[in-house]
Formats: sequence, C-alpha cells, structure tokens
Amino acid sequence: MNLLLVGMNHRTAPLALREHYAVAELGPPLAKLVDRDVISEAVLLSTCNRVEAMVCAARPDVARLRLRSFFERDLASGPPPDAGVSLGDALYEFSGSEAVRHVFRVASSIDSMVLGEPQILGQVKDSYRAAVEAGACASILTRLYQHAFATAKRVRNETRVAERPVSVARVAAELAAEVFESFGEKTALLVGAGEMIELALEAMREAGLARVRIANRTRARAEALASRFDGSAHGLEELPELLAGADVMLTSIGGDGPLVLREDVERALRGRGHRPLFVIDLGVPRNVDPRVDELDGVYLYDVDDLGRVAEANAEERRREKVRAEAIVLEEAQRFDGWLAALAAVPTIRDLRARAERIRSQELERAVARLQASEAPREVLEALTRGIVNKLLHAPISKLRGQEDREQGLATLEAARTLFALDEGEPEAEPPQGEES
Amino acid sequence: MNLHVYTEMFYLAAAVLATLGLSLRQPQLSRAAVGALAVGALVHAAAFLQLHEFRLPPRLSGLRGAVSLAAWVGTLFFLSLMRRGRLQALAVIVAPAAFLGAFFGSRGLSPGAEAGADVPLWAQMHVLLASAGFALLGVACAAGLLFLAQRRSLKRKQGLQGRLVLPPLESLDRVNALALSVGFLLLSLALLTGVMWTLEIEGHLWPRSPHANATLAAWGIYAVLVGARWLARQGATRAAQSAVAGFAILLVAVLGVGMLT
Repeated sequence: MNLLLVGMNHRTAPLALREHYAVAELGPPLAKLVDRDVISEAVLLSTCNRVEAMVCAARPDVARLRLRSFFERDLASGPPPDAGVSLGDALYEFSGSEAVRHVFRVASSIDSMVLGEPQILGQVKDSYRAAVEAGACASILTRLYQHAFATAKRVRNETRVAERPVSVARVAAELAAEVFESFGEKTALLVGAGEMIELALEAMREAGLARVRIANRTRARAEALASRFDGSAHGLEELPELLAGADVMLTSIGGDGPLVLREDVERALRGRGHRPLFVIDLGVPRNVDPRVDELDGVYLYDVDDLGRVAEANAEERRREKVRAEAIVLEEAQRFDGWLAALAAVPTIRDLRARAERIRSQELERAVARLQASEAPREVLEALTRGIVNKLLHAPISKLRGQEDREQGLATLEAARTLFALDEGEPEAEPPQGEES
Repeated sequence: MNLHVYTEMFYLAAAVLATLGLSLRQPQLSRAAVGALAVGALVHAAAFLQLHEFRLPPRLSGLRGAVSLAAWVGTLFFLSLMRRGRLQALAVIVAPAAFLGAFFGSRGLSPGAEAGADVPLWAQMHVLLASAGFALLGVACAAGLLFLAQRRSLKRKQGLQGRLVLPPLESLDRVNALALSVGFLLLSLALLTGVMWTLEIEGHLWPRSPHANATLAAWGIYAVLVGARWLARQGATRAAQSAVAGFAILLVAVLGVGMLT
C-alpha cells in the first residue's frame, strides 16, 4: 500500500486559485475519490491556505492521475480563474516517507504561513473526522493521523514554536495579560475604529474582557462597532471622563498631533486610585503623548514597540523551527517503521506457510520410515537434514545465481543480516526439563 | 526520624524546581514547586507536632524556633494565594526563604533542646504573632521584588522572548497589599504581647534591650508604610519599593540585632 499526497498551498498557489479549489463540505468529494480499486483511503484538507488530498493507494501511478483529475473535475468550482499560475504548476506531490513527513509538518504548524499558528491542528483534526464519517479512512490513514496529532502535541510541548504571539493584535493582548490578573472586570476604551484596533479588541475579548467603550469622531462608526462588541459609543469630547474609568486604552485615529496628553492621563490617574493603565497606541502619527509612559502605573506601547516585540517573537519561532523539524523527522521515521512492518506481514505469512509445508512433508516421510522399523537415529538424521536442505535450497540458489555484481552484493548482505551470520553462533537452548 | 530534615528536603526541591521553572520558562516545573512546597509545609507541621510527643516540649520562644515557625507560616500564606492562580512564580523567592528558615531553625530545635523552661503564655503568643507577622511581611517583600522586575521589563518594552514568566503586576500588587496589611497587624499584636510579657516577668512595660528598640523602630517604619499605602493612596510601584525596604530594615532589626546580642 502506497501513501500519496497531492495539493497546493500559499507558497505554490495564489489566493484566487486556492479559493477556486477550496471546499466547505468534505464528505461528497471524498465519496467520489475513494474507490477501493485504486484509492482505498483518503483525507481531504481544505483551509484558506491549502487544499490537499492524502490517499492510500494500491496503484500509485493510477492514483496520481486520479488525484489530478479529482482537483480538475471534483474540487473546481467552475472554469479556472486567471490567477497567473496553472493548476499543474500549483500542485505538488509527495509520496511515501515524504508524504508522511509533510502531514506531520502541516499538523505541527511548521508548514503554515504564520509559523506555529494554532488553528491548523484543529483544521487537520476536522478533516480527519470528516474522512472517518465519510467512511474514507481505515487502518493506515487512521494510524497516520493519530501519529500526526501526537507529533503536533510533542512539537508544541517540547519547542517554543507556538509559545509567543506574532501578530501585533495578539502581542497587545498578551502584554495586557502581564499587567492585569484577569480581564473579567476590566474596561477597554477604544479611541478610533480602525481594523487594527478591532483585531486587538477581538484578542482581548477572547481573553474575557468585560466592558468596551468606543470614542470616535464619527459617532455612527463608533455605534456600529459598539453594537458588534456589545459596548457603548461616545464622542471624543467625553475622553477625559472615559479615561478615568478605563483599564486598557487602544487608540488608532487620524490627526496631526497627540490626542491624549500627559496632563490628561495624570488627571485621570488621580481619580482612579492608582489602578494600572495599559495604553496601546496604534496611530500613525501617534495619538498618545510619549511622555505618558513616564507616569507610574501607565504602560504605553506604540505600534513600533509592538512590532519589535512581534518580530522578536517571530525570530524565536524561526529558531525553534529547527527543533520542531527534528521531532517531525524522528516521528516520521517511526511511522515509516510501522508501515514497513505492516508491509512485511504477507511475506512473513508466506515464509511460515512454506516452512510449515516442508516440516509436514518431512515429518510424514519420517513417520513412514519409522513404521518400516528403520533405525530411529537414521530417521531423525534424514528428517533434520531434509528440513534444513529444503529451507536453504531457494536462498542458496539465489545467492549463487546472481549475475549483476551490485545486486549480488546486496543480496549477500541481506542474507548475512537475515540469518544473523555476523552475530556469532546462537547459544544452544537447554533441553526441556533441565534446570539451568 | 527527624522530620525537619524531610521538611528541608522538600523546601529545597521546591526552590530548585521554582528556579528551573522560571529560568527555563516551564510553568509545569513552577507548579511542581508549589506541590513540593505544600508537601514540605505538611511535613513541617508534623515536625512541630513531633516536638510535643516529648514530655518536655521545646520552647519556640528562641530565635531559631521563631525563624522555623515564620518559614512555615510564610509558606502556608503563599499556598493560600494559589487559589487565584498565576502566582506560582512567587515560589522562586518563597521556597528558598522557607528552606533557609527551616534549615536555620531546625539546628536548635531537636526534641529536648531548649526544653524545661517554663514559658509564659504572653511569650508564646508574642513569638507566634511575631513569626507570623515577619513571614507575611517577607511575602510582601517577595511580591514587591517580583513587581519591580516585571514593571522594569514592561517599561523597557523588551520582547516577550527570553523574559521571565512573572505573575501579572495586578496580582503582585494585591499580594503585596494583603500581606503588608495582615503582616503589620500581626506585628503590632506581637509588640503588644511582648509588652505584656515584659510587664509580667520584669514589672515594667519596655525591656530596653537593643532587640526591642530595633523592633519598635521597624514597627514605626512599617506604620508609616501602611499609612502611606492606605491613607495617602500610594501607587503600586512605590508600595513595592517600600515593602522591600521595610523588610530589609525589619531583617536587620530583628534577626541582625537578635543574633548580635
């Protein structure tokens, strides 16, 4: 059984092409892909950054063609877009060990656009679950994906590839968590209503931020955002009062100079019992007077500060990637070992059947000679000699009959390994009943 | 079986785990340190009980006994803070302090040592309250130190990588405020019971010993600190600095002068 993976990702295909082949419902295409004769098992992964089909195929050459036509006919949503890259150029292929390693890398988030991002593991799990529900997953891919999940967990536990955030919004939320015990009772004040500010707010909301107040020049825009985040909308003239009640302030608003001055914050601090204030200034030019950071209990981060932290975190993730790759390689080799052992099962079964046949034949012959009153020792000699000769006849004939020198040497090496000829004589087992 | 040795072993293990947890940024090691501290505190309690198995229990009014008691109370107070999470890193100071306290204290605290003295009730209460107050002010100092370290790295805008995973500023300030308030109250009660003790055995209110005078001075400094915190609404940074400075003065006043005299 052969493993084969065909797919495209953010490195090989532009977004227009990826969205053309992306699917929301994985069950129906999987049902079309699996056909027992060529492809016995399949898992389909479709995210915003990749579309991949991993299959277990009895006939890999046919499966390869089948997978390419699967992308063209079954996944495509209409005629291909003019994305500057053809489907043939966008698709990559991995087989055998390389396919295993690729699945492990994807699940461990070291093949992601943002290294170490946490969503991909959930997406791989969803795609595996969909394959199981569609009846497209059996023993080999089940084992492969369970191993991939375990590998991802190991990478997450043993490296820092996903430890620190790399987006400015997440960095802001993480820094705020170093100031506050929890966001449960905290109030965020948003000055402006830009996209960046929304992302930072979303990250804090996920962490449990309680209240949101939005102040903007255009009140309608503030109200629209307030309704999304279940907050209250205010005009900029209310800023001094709002500042006194805020624990976190996020600003991103246009203007010529600082909107929030040191004196404003000093005044607000006096009325709030020295509760800390965490300020994130995402405005360019800056919305908050930099001297605010000199105040005790105020922690001000502007867009450059956050960017520096995010870049330093990304650099650490890149360093950790080397360790993650080593873990993936180790686990992929372990899986390969299991797969190889699985492939050896029919051979072992045939070998045992053949040896058993020889033993039965020789035993029948020995019993007949004993019944004819021949000397037992001679019968036993002939029995054991017959078994040995017949067992060794085929391998010895092959060893002598090799014509190609390279192959001959390889066969000799294999024979020495298989029969453990370089490991010395095995110790004789004591006769049964004898105490050692 | 000397349970004090086992206590020291658990506290030492907690100190090592807490240090590794903080330096290697492995929260599970910090959690293990808290677990080791909890076991150490249990064994420590059993060690105190063991002393009373003997007919003549050793008095805890000696300096060593008081230090061991303070280490135990400080550990218990720290463990009680764990209910609100994210404070495990504080073990990096509490665990070594508990180990040193238990180690120093146990050297003069074997069953029978300092035994036989008829210790008045005021003396027992004085030592218990003073040890507990001392321990809590020590925890306030530890929280203050970590607060200053965390504040420094936030103000310097260091990247998150390579930074120690310290508790949030707000948690450290809460611990500081709580430990300072309760610790000061206990220290005040210890002073009061000390006065009663002196009155009972010497017939006057103040012993006029260097230890007593230094302790009174330290109490006065703490009174100013607590007043600044609650009446003058002192900021968290100044409160952290005060807690560290105050405890340093208390250490010199109580331990330093006590050992020299």
